[in-house]
Amino acid sequence: MPPLYELENIRQVYARRVVLEIDQMVVYPGEIIGLSGPNGSGKSTLLRILAMLESPVRGRIFFSGRPANPNDLQSRRQITLLSQSPYLLKRSVLGNVSYGLKLRGITGKKEKARAALSMVGLDPQEFAGRMWYELSGGEAQRVALAARLAIRPGALLLDEPTAYLDEYSAERIRSAALYAVEKWNTALVLVSHDHAWLGSVCQRILQMHRGRLQAS
Amino acid sequence: MDYIAEGLVQALNLLLQGDPETFSAIWVTLRVSTASILASLILGIPPGFLLGHYSFAGKRAVRVIVDTLLSLPTVVIGLLVYTLVSRQGPLGEFGLLFTLPAICIGQTILGLPIVIALTASAVETLDQRLPALLSTLGADRKQMLLTTVWESRFSLLAAAVTAYGRIVSEVGISMMVGGNIKWYTRTITTAIALETNKGRFAFGIALGLVLLLIAFLINLVLNVLKKRTQV
Amino acid sequence: MSSFRLYAALFFLTFCLMFPAAAPGQSLMMATTTSTDNTGLLDELAPKFKQDTGITLKWTAVGTGKALEIGRNCDVEVLMVHAPAAEKQFVNNGYGVERTQVMYNDFVIIGPDRDPAGIRGMDTKTAIKQMADEKGLFVSRGDDSGTNKKERALWDEAGVNPPARAKWYLETGQGMISTIRVAAERDGYTLTDRGTYIKYEHSQGGPVPLKILVQGDPALFNQYSAIAVNPDRCENVDYELAQKFINWITSGQIQAFIGNYKLLGKQLFTPNAGN
Repeated sequence: MPPLYELENIRQVYARRVVLEIDQMVVYPGEIIGLSGPNGSGKSTLLRILAMLESPVRGRIFFSGRPANPNDLQSRRQITLLSQSPYLLKRSVLGNVSYGLKLRGITGKKEKARAALSMVGLDPQEFAGRMWYELSGGEAQRVALAARLAIRPGALLLDEPTAYLDEYSAERIRSAALYAVEKWNTALVLVSHDHAWLGSVCQRILQMHRGRLQAS
Repeated sequence: MDYIAEGLVQALNLLLQGDPETFSAIWVTLRVSTASILASLILGIPPGFLLGHYSFAGKRAVRVIVDTLLSLPTVVIGLLVYTLVSRQGPLGEFGLLFTLPAICIGQTILGLPIVIALTASAVETLDQRLPALLSTLGADRKQMLLTTVWESRFSLLAAAVTAYGRIVSEVGISMMVGGNIKWYTRTITTAIALETNKGRFAFGIALGLVLLLIAFLINLVLNVLKKRTQV
Repeated sequence: MSSFRLYAALFFLTFCLMFPAAAPGQSLMMATTTSTDNTGLLDELAPKFKQDTGITLKWTAVGTGKALEIGRNCDVEVLMVHAPAAEKQFVNNGYGVERTQVMYNDFVIIGPDRDPAGIRGMDTKTAIKQMADEKGLFVSRGDDSGTNKKERALWDEAGVNPPARAKWYLETGQGMISTIRVAAERDGYTLTDRGTYIKYEHSQGGPVPLKILVQGDPALFNQYSAIAVNPDRCENVDYELAQKFINWITSGQIQAFIGNYKLLGKQLFTPNAGN
């Protein structure tokens, strides 16, 4: 199976400080990779680069064999990132979850959005019509994940998605992410301080330290 | 002062009996102010958005100019538009002086800086996480733009309401380029300013009441919007 | 492209609001003085004019000075003003075609009933001098209107230097009724046309603090004239309409109507077209 991501000689610099330096990294479809390391070790930067939200100053990235480029909409639309406190659009839960489908002009977005809500354990009956300000923190985070699952991503990048959540919500997020891997062969890259979680689900855990990957 | 009590009673009479002169002024005001606010929004939101969204050389200078124009006195705008649309002026051939379009031009000049400045501020204060969200959900450039505008809709509405409040209550422009012509360009404010000169206090108070009512409705809307955006 | 269409629709709506269906028939634009407008005479004349000729009369009421300026800028078809010297100048300079007398009323000097300067019943010249000497408060329009021009001429004729920044001389820069109101509040004298004074009395609905103290002097004659704006200078103006209006307002029937126009049972104007 051809790799989903191939990274070569990546370097990222913020304010003249090297924050990321990766010689080589490969991610395959359906793979679950954990990133672990202290704060400031470059985990989030790596995720943002994988999400094409920023471009490295040096190095080459291939996504599905094509050079990664934020302007390459087709590639970018297969990747999505969920951070620890995501932004919800000022519209209903259904509007938020179906937004990605709407952007892609996909039909039947209501049904697909409702299915995504069910995946994260939110009853569509109860939640679809709620407004963005009528949600608890855990519910908002799960709506955000549902919005990303609705587009059936090829790569799902999670940056501390369960950091501030109650145990119930965290569990729903963990199982929904795994469901995507099983069902759509989505590649999952996880950043989390939850070592138990990483240990139980990841095929590989990459240790990061001062912007570099360390074999473990 | 019996004027006020008497005026109030007569004012209610005028309003309830549908006095044609009173309603003519109200209708003219609503029509011209609506056209002006629409023109201000159409012309003001795009540059306001660019000003708030992008960084470019001279951006701060543009902001300072726009902010200065916020305090442009209406009589100065009136004078400016008068010299523009008078037959001897550069736009004289269109014969716009003493017409509603002339008032509309002036009021649009009044509303534009407000719309531009408030739109720019609204876009600047949008949540920092919005661009990343739009990108990661797969929006192209145009979709990003439209969603960003839609996300700032409450602030934009607040900007529109603020600009409308200024437009509907101005008197200098309407008086100078409208000419307070009965049945045609007599607005609520010019009627109050000049008709009370004829001792028609009830008429003035009736129109004042309507203006207050409009202001009340505007602020009611603004209040509801503030509540929604705070959550 | 739905957003583009919405944008276009908004544009269209804006233009519809700005340019409503034009009023049917022709319309004549006139610049006139606040004193004419304030009497309410024009409100009576406009519908009659429409009825007789089918032409809609629109007018803007400003001071005579500004009215002449508007005429000079070709922004109106016809003027109805009351400052003979300035009008003659206007016609001589080629801005207007011809000056046609329409009607007159007279100016009166009004002041507080107790008359601190003691001018009641005097002739104009003496009264003016007396006011300057006695330093009773005088309230002036100060707006270059016909009344203001008349007032300055009276000071000149009385040999009193037109007072500038004197404590007893107040310039309001406002219309006639506003100026009368200021005089009433400040217990001062002022010069007004009789028509506006009657209107003021009427609007107060009872006894007023300011009384007519000087009147009936030929020096206080207040002539209103109509002038068509010169079509040779101003291509856009409809000289024919203006001429129709002037012919109409100087016709026997309308002259009679003006003579019969009463407020509080008092005649406001004396028609004198053709004299």
